[in-house]
Amino acid sequence: MRTDDARREILGAIRENLARGSSPHDPLPAPQSSPPDPLSVPERGDVQRVRTFTERLAAVGAHCTVVSGEAEAAAALAGILSGAGARRIAGSDAPLVQRLLRPLRDRFEIADPERLSRDDLFACDAGVTTAQWGIAETGTLVLESARERSRLLSLVPPIHVAVLSTRCICESLGDALDRVRQAASHAITFITGPSRTSDIELTLVVGVHGPQTVHVLLLEDT
Amino acid sequence: MTFDRDARTALADGQLRGALRHATTLFGERRRAAIADVPDWEGARDRARAIKDETLLHLDRYLEQFAANAERAGARVHWARDAAQACDIIAGIAERRDARTVVKSKSMASEEIRLNAALAARGIAAVETDLGEYIIQLAGEEPSHIVVPAIHKTKGQIAALFAAKLGMEPSDDVTKLAAAARQALRRRFAEADLGVSGVNFAVAETGTILILENEGNARLTTSLPRTHVALMGIEKVIPRFADLEVFLRLLPRSGTGQALTAYQSLLTGTKRQPADEGPEELHIVLLDNGRSRMLASPVTRQTLACIRCGACLNACPVYRQIGGHAYGSVYPGPIGAVLTPQLLGMGDSAELPYASSLCGACRDVCPVKIDIPAVLLHLRAQAVARRGSTGTRTLLERLAFASYAAVMARPRLFEWVMRCARRLHLMPPLGAWTKWRDLRPLAPRSFREEWRRGLRHEGAR
Repeated sequence: MRTDDARREILGAIRENLARGSSPHDPLPAPQSSPPDPLSVPERGDVQRVRTFTERLAAVGAHCTVVSGEAEAAAALAGILSGAGARRIAGSDAPLVQRLLRPLRDRFEIADPERLSRDDLFACDAGVTTAQWGIAETGTLVLESARERSRLLSLVPPIHVAVLSTRCICESLGDALDRVRQAASHAITFITGPSRTSDIELTLVVGVHGPQTVHVLLLEDT
Repeated sequence: MTFDRDARTALADGQLRGALRHATTLFGERRRAAIADVPDWEGARDRARAIKDETLLHLDRYLEQFAANAERAGARVHWARDAAQACDIIAGIAERRDARTVVKSKSMASEEIRLNAALAARGIAAVETDLGEYIIQLAGEEPSHIVVPAIHKTKGQIAALFAAKLGMEPSDDVTKLAAAARQALRRRFAEADLGVSGVNFAVAETGTILILENEGNARLTTSLPRTHVALMGIEKVIPRFADLEVFLRLLPRSGTGQALTAYQSLLTGTKRQPADEGPEELHIVLLDNGRSRMLASPVTRQTLACIRCGACLNACPVYRQIGGHAYGSVYPGPIGAVLTPQLLGMGDSAELPYASSLCGACRDVCPVKIDIPAVLLHLRAQAVARRGSTGTRTLLERLAFASYAAVMARPRLFEWVMRCARRLHLMPPLGAWTKWRDLRPLAPRSFREEWRRGLRHEGAR
């Protein structure tokens, strides 16, 4: 196996060069030294945290609707979808998403998540998923593959609606990293606002590859 | 002397210089605004550098740990000594998976190894999907900036390009141009068999790779095709998952002035169950290509701490005037001037360490505090040492420096030489230095002479 040879050679070259480069003035730190305290962001109360989160969402160009209870959420979802002119909708396999979409069946064309082909996916106007976490500091949504099949629905359709519980809003990036690490998903996606590019004359365009519209349905504790 | 020639060409291009001035100034302002709201920016820089230093001093151990954890999670890890080997590995994967169309998200390492050309030689079409990279691929050009590859092209030029290559109605509307690219690339994503991405950070303790982006093309590249190949330099590894926090604070703010880019994908191995979303296979290619050599000295080693934010480009007075192409390498600007000669050897890039005024602006903005001027000086010394044995200018130069040393070490000789120079209004030609700069004329009398003539007595009164 050439790649095994390459592995040996690369690791050998690293060790040899490191040995050449080390000097008494250049002490080796302990390899597993624990990092200094995480960069702290001051803790805020719940209300303040939710407010910061919604302010940051607006700052990055995402929309947000605060609702309490599933009935209100379903009504708000219908309003968001029809307001955006969406007809073909695909929801993720999350039970909450399926419950919210059920009353909307007579008004929209709703794809079955178990039988969604790639062509169906590319033809959808909107994808509805939940988000496992929010990050107040940056207005970020966090999606974990171990919890839900949301990877493509949050990406391919031009509109992404994410349902998030206010209880799941973390204060900081560091808090969110701590939490997702425990879930050990093979794919974790952080989403901050719509897809964007400034590649042509530094002019901002949203929706270049991913969604043009990101709408967060923030579900309050009831 | 390609740098010298290409820099002159760039300086004569008024449109390019206007675009560069606009872009680098804007990025500089956005960066300053973005770091203003971070409570302890300096502390974050120090911490990030400490993490990088720690990793590099034990790079063998962290790489092995990363490889073992990534494989445990279902990835295949490949090791590539050089560009040719990395291209071979990736082409081999593409052939084994019977891939005809390859979609690529932005990866500096893939440009470093000239992957697209290597794949094309084996009949595999690789499509760049980052909007800027797509534009320059259609135009058959090279990127001119790490973060904004098509910074040198106007929307008018892009409109003409899209009209010719995509059959689009000519339009100067940037939104329409982006929409045309989206539509053309959607088809490519739908049919692609293999996705190639870069890697921003690789976490040793979990085997996770992290990719940052704004457009969503890296998410499409890493989630739609059945095979994902992630190419990374061996210096991308960091020890702990929690270390990601400080780098996620530094990189987007330094690069684009954002608190966070639109997307971060954290990928650990392959999907766990058939019903899960994502590729069946994940291949991670670890690329050395001259990197391990840089570990041999603490000065050059710091080059490997670079997180490719591009802040040093925007801050550099040389880059701001000439742009990326003059550097003749995929890595332009101050970091390119130190990285390229070390990756490719001094042979073709010995001029690059001189493409700097050593003002230190790059060091001041670097999020991991790389002392780029120190590395530049180190490489200049190497370039001089190399030239020493062969160069034709050396004999003259050696003679000049030997005379200088002889004169400077003998005060009387010095005075005599200076007196002659004054009388004859003679200044020695100092090569390139006096070619572009005027030396101040010599005063009629030296300070010593003035002193002897009475300045001393005046001073004593």
